[in-house]
Amino acid sequence: MVLVAVLVVAVPGLLVSACGGQSGSGAAGGGDAVTAVGRAASGRAAPPSRRPEAIRAVRLLSQAAQAAIVTSYQGQEVVTRWSESGGSVLVSSIWHVSGGQTVTKTMDAGASFSSQPYLSSDSDSQSPEGVLGVTAPLVQLLESHYVVSYAGTGSADNRTAQVVEAWRGDGSIAARFWLDDATRLPLERVVFDKASHVIGQDVFIDVSFANPGASPQQTAPATARVSAGQQGPWTDPLPRHELLALRARGWQVPSELPGGLSLFTGASTQAGTGTVLDLGYSDGLSMVSVFEQHGKLPATLPGWRKTKINGHVVFVSDPDQRSLTWSGRGTVYTVVADAPAQTVDAVVGALPHDGPTGFWKRMSRGINRLASWANPFH
Amino acid sequence: MSHLGDRLSALVDGELDGAELDRAHAHLAGCEPCRAEAAELRALKQKLRGLVDGAPAEAAMTRRLIAMTGPGGPMPPRRRLLRVVPGRRPTAAPASSRPGSGPTLNPPTALKPPKTLKPWPSGRRRRYLVLGTVSLVVGLGTAAFTVGGGGDAAPGPRITPPVEMYSVEHAITTGEVPFPAPSAGPSSDAPPP
Repeated sequence: MVLVAVLVVAVPGLLVSACGGQSGSGAAGGGDAVTAVGRAASGRAAPPSRRPEAIRAVRLLSQAAQAAIVTSYQGQEVVTRWSESGGSVLVSSIWHVSGGQTVTKTMDAGASFSSQPYLSSDSDSQSPEGVLGVTAPLVQLLESHYVVSYAGTGSADNRTAQVVEAWRGDGSIAARFWLDDATRLPLERVVFDKASHVIGQDVFIDVSFANPGASPQQTAPATARVSAGQQGPWTDPLPRHELLALRARGWQVPSELPGGLSLFTGASTQAGTGTVLDLGYSDGLSMVSVFEQHGKLPATLPGWRKTKINGHVVFVSDPDQRSLTWSGRGTVYTVVADAPAQTVDAVVGALPHDGPTGFWKRMSRGINRLASWANPFH
Repeated sequence: MSHLGDRLSALVDGELDGAELDRAHAHLAGCEPCRAEAAELRALKQKLRGLVDGAPAEAAMTRRLIAMTGPGGPMPPRRRLLRVVPGRRPTAAPASSRPGSGPTLNPPTALKPPKTLKPWPSGRRRRYLVLGTVSLVVGLGTAAFTVGGGGDAAPGPRITPPVEMYSVEHAITTGEVPFPAPSAGPSSDAPPP
């Protein structure tokens, strides 16, 4: 029986401290890991400069990204996010076959979307399939934006794990990874903000490693079986220079976004209303996808609520609040983010918006509309 | 001997007759002071008459002014009074039918204003004109302000973000699992599978 449940817990103002986060992720049991926990709890510490351990940490993360593709596994992934407005927990079942497809089923009572599993495939190793956000491109970004360090051994999901940490330049810890010692598959990831508060925790539990020859359809329950035809009709990832060349065709393609986010991938698809562009930005930990489509938003969006960010009116999806959309200069922008709120706010402010409509501009527009309605030849 | 007193002015004005007139003449014949006073009164009366005859225009103006203050002066009709009310009479009714002659039902012709009078005085008409213009401007302005909201009529289709598809694409791109999308129905704008 597939365990599928989504719990949205309202924890107003809850910010779990690094200490609390560690108590929840008590899988870290190694001596070095414990030392690392102590450093994190103190809030600030000198970033490790042990070069050999940094090399070892990068190698472990690269192996983890590869293991997420070549290893056949299945298990439950528990994703928890905290913000100032509360927290949310998501439980998904995942099946993956070596070098092939991944089936993820997420259920949310009352939501039509997640009652349907989605199927992803990485047969050509081009798509950055990964577990807990550990993919090859993101490991490269993590190495360039943070100081990564090997922190010893620990345990997660009752399995021995290698612990790797990422530190910011100011000496605060940014993330900690638990990688399965036997397969290098990521088992747990905890993300901290600059105040060393836990803002995200991904745990892979009940992990089992299946026969590499089995397909996800064979290993996944019947309720989760889907056809390959339901895969998203997106193009293969476009090279960076091709993405930047799209600027000449009227697309907004910043090479960088606030928060140290770099453009690392992009793709496009054809919708009934035109081309949709997907731009992926990350610093190795925070992930922001910017979707662009020429057009405008309708007056109302069911399931979204209007809010103001940096003086701009945007729609925020409920209840997770990780998706935002608005229209500006003839383009609809939709941001899907796994990033701190400050970073998301800065990203929203960096993209185009329509300025506030002044009184006379609005009056002029209204008179023109009234005149067009009264014009029998219009 | 008593003098003529008040009867002297009556004599000068020609208001005595008969025995009174004879007795006044008999007294004047024997009384020098009364004769002198009578002569002064006649002279004064003569002067006053001369003054009135020398200012005919002013006298005519005085008569017209007095006539205007008299009963039966024209008053502008009021619309809300243009209906028959028992016991009440329109202000434009003739003087002969004014209150005092008993409550009567006026004939319809009595309600009509004189042809020479304007039904809408220029001041009131101007007031209504200004009020109407202001109302029109305010109404049109409110309508334009209301209709002018909702953003520019920029060209392009109206797009409901297919956030379910976006969430899945984001998950594939980043190696994460997709969070539930807003609980809205599937977007018709989503690309075909």
